[in-house]
Amino acid sequence: MRVGKAIFELARAAGARSLFVVGIGKNVGKTVTMRAVYEAASETGARVGLTSIGRDGEAVDAGDAQPKPRLFLRPETVIATARGVLPASPASEILALSRLQTAAGEVVFARVLGSAFYELVGPPTASGIRETVDLLETLGDVTIVDGAIDRVAALAGGDDAIVVACGASAANTMQEAVDGVAALVSRLRVAAYDPALPALHLDGALTPTRAAALIAQHEERQVVVRDPTQIALTGKGAARALETLRIRCVRPLRVIAATVASIGRERTFEPRTFLKAVAEATGLPVFDVYAGTHAA
Amino acid sequence: VRIDALLDTTSAQALHFAWLSLALEPASEYGDRVYAGIQPFAPGEEAAAQARAALVSGVAESLDAARLDAVRDALRGSPDAAGAIARASMGDVLADAHLFELQRFCDAIVRVDALLDGVPGIDKISNEAVAITARALESGRTGKFAFYLADSFDGVLAASRTRLSRAQAELDAARGRTAQRIGSILNRDDLSSDEFILMRAEIDGDLPAGVRVLREAPTYYLCALEFDEAALAALERRDAAANDVASAEEGVRGELSAVVRSHAAQLDRAAQHLGEIDVLIAAARFAQLHRCRVADIVTEPVLTFSQGRYLPLEAELELQGRAFTPIDVELHDVAVLTGPNMGGKSVCLRTCGFVALCVAFGLPVPAESARAGLFDEIAWLGIGGEDEELGGLLSSFAKEVVRLRDVLERNAPRLFVLIDEFARTTTPHEGKALLVALIARLRERGARGMVATHLSGVAREANARHFAVRGLRGIPARPATGDLQEALAALAASMDYTIGEIKGEEGSGADAIALAGLLGLDEDLIAGAHRALRR
Repeated sequence: MRVGKAIFELARAAGARSLFVVGIGKNVGKTVTMRAVYEAASETGARVGLTSIGRDGEAVDAGDAQPKPRLFLRPETVIATARGVLPASPASEILALSRLQTAAGEVVFARVLGSAFYELVGPPTASGIRETVDLLETLGDVTIVDGAIDRVAALAGGDDAIVVACGASAANTMQEAVDGVAALVSRLRVAAYDPALPALHLDGALTPTRAAALIAQHEERQVVVRDPTQIALTGKGAARALETLRIRCVRPLRVIAATVASIGRERTFEPRTFLKAVAEATGLPVFDVYAGTHAA
Repeated sequence: VRIDALLDTTSAQALHFAWLSLALEPASEYGDRVYAGIQPFAPGEEAAAQARAALVSGVAESLDAARLDAVRDALRGSPDAAGAIARASMGDVLADAHLFELQRFCDAIVRVDALLDGVPGIDKISNEAVAITARALESGRTGKFAFYLADSFDGVLAASRTRLSRAQAELDAARGRTAQRIGSILNRDDLSSDEFILMRAEIDGDLPAGVRVLREAPTYYLCALEFDEAALAALERRDAAANDVASAEEGVRGELSAVVRSHAAQLDRAAQHLGEIDVLIAAARFAQLHRCRVADIVTEPVLTFSQGRYLPLEAELELQGRAFTPIDVELHDVAVLTGPNMGGKSVCLRTCGFVALCVAFGLPVPAESARAGLFDEIAWLGIGGEDEELGGLLSSFAKEVVRLRDVLERNAPRLFVLIDEFARTTTPHEGKALLVALIARLRERGARGMVATHLSGVAREANARHFAVRGLRGIPARPATGDLQEALAALAASMDYTIGEIKGEEGSGADAIALAGLLGLDEDLIAGAHRALRR
């Protein structure tokens, strides 16, 4: 199956103009997922805008010098990337310059006019990403962001959709990877609070200490955080808090799918088993971009 | 803006210089550079300060608010081309983003010149270099603002791009045929990406030709499509065509960079001029927004104004729906200011400092009229002037004394000093003695300024002019709700904040007990205070 096309259609069905691909770690297939959705969206004739939180599309990982998946872009794609990595040739149409800073210079908005490999280096802050995505949305039909989980706050309350990528590189065992992605998805999918019901609004993050205190007090009101990124709980602690407390948020996020990459640099998981386990644990449509398979 | 000689950090804080600095902030990076180098006018530069204030006022009167905002919008939307000009002047070949900046720079100059056409005292920014650069870049304009190294710059570029486009299509077709052939064998329609997984269980026999195994796992292969002979040949042709395009594009950039290089000096002048206009427009907007007037800037060290306003407080009051009461002041010596608590003594001092600051920077002042000289230093002492750097080891009194010592040791030839309840934390008897001696010292040195105090008899013993806040017209009743904001509003309604000169007897008391009651201290305590006062 065409995984990119399936994810793009899910995003369209959700009414999202921007799609954020976030990963549970490094090398879990974020860029491969982004590329698959990009290719599917381009084929429909949509004008696609692309950017990244951090660095994507470079030939080798700046951290460990390993080869990385690259981004081969087609004409009419609009990108937001750092001036320092925009290739001189083929020349791009420069649409706008921003004062948003990255490690490789200010962010430039450019329209690709010649097919080539491009590197995306976007703003590192949530507010910078929000500003960038807002401008990209005025320049194209759909925006795809190679994301970072700790910057998802930029999407809270917006019309954006999220795809969570998980893979063998991010855990020692398949069970650990499945538990990790399930906890993350539960956290990101915390529902909006009901203003008609009693609520305890937290100023700041829901930390393990705070959660433990609330559980001990048998707190029955809705425990409301600003957005799901304010739930600073992981692993079993997160699972217990989400089960015991009625955790809600002011600005919810929309997680529409997950992807799996069963091939890691140090280990591999059996693809079908991994796919099925992630689907069961998250309750989301799950895709294997490499194998072209799907489980729900 | 450089204030080091005119204001020390503590005085700048007390007079809210940051507020003024923000109010005058230019809109562009060109303006930021000019603004960073601005210094106050020093004594002896009265004519230049007067001319600058007149220019700012003239621009504010010539242009309405919408036009001023339009100029600022044009400046704000213009990316900084100074780096591009500098690179070109050093012989660098400019990148497309630099060419975009230069085009926007030329656009901004044309727009600003048009908006300021006919305004007295403002020369055109555009020069021959700007016109030549704009013409050279015009072929790259796409849409309203975008820039592209278009085919129309050069015939060779256009031809090489056509060849590249064809070569890329051939490569795509060759790769597409491979993907389609292998996809049909494997029953996969998603083999467009570089890497894919094949499950061992689903492969009948050997892998098809053209599939390269990158990694083997117990149940699957990680694979990629190989380049066949036709695809390799197409790839070679595409790469050669891409190199030709890169070379042609760099040639066009080189020619455009040479145009910029040969006019760099004039372009730099235009950028500097654009920055100066930005700073001027920001000052004009400030003057217009705050209804400022040009002061008569004189060589004598005086400060006189009527209906003066302290703008940071006025802005704060406006937010609360309240109005600032303008004041009149006439200072040609060191005068004493008294008045009730919360009557506006500190605000009067700050208004004096703020007006003096505006004069020092050649700005129209927030007053109906003013006559003022220039000073080498404007110093604030007392409440709100504690130097944090002195830390917690010194008492409040010691900190004040150290600050006073520092101000006196700097020995500014023309000192304007504002003293707010100096020595209030020591005994009234000794505090008063210190104040009287300080006023005598300041007068010996020819300083100008105002000394606010609650200590009675200072003006008489120092033989200084004595001003007083007119004060409460009557004691307002304590609000039944006990609400602080309501109490403050009642107080403001009853207070006459204007300043008048006192002849003969000193002014009345501070109304401190009445105010304490109004602000919510319990009635028994207030009654006790009244009894103690009568004793």
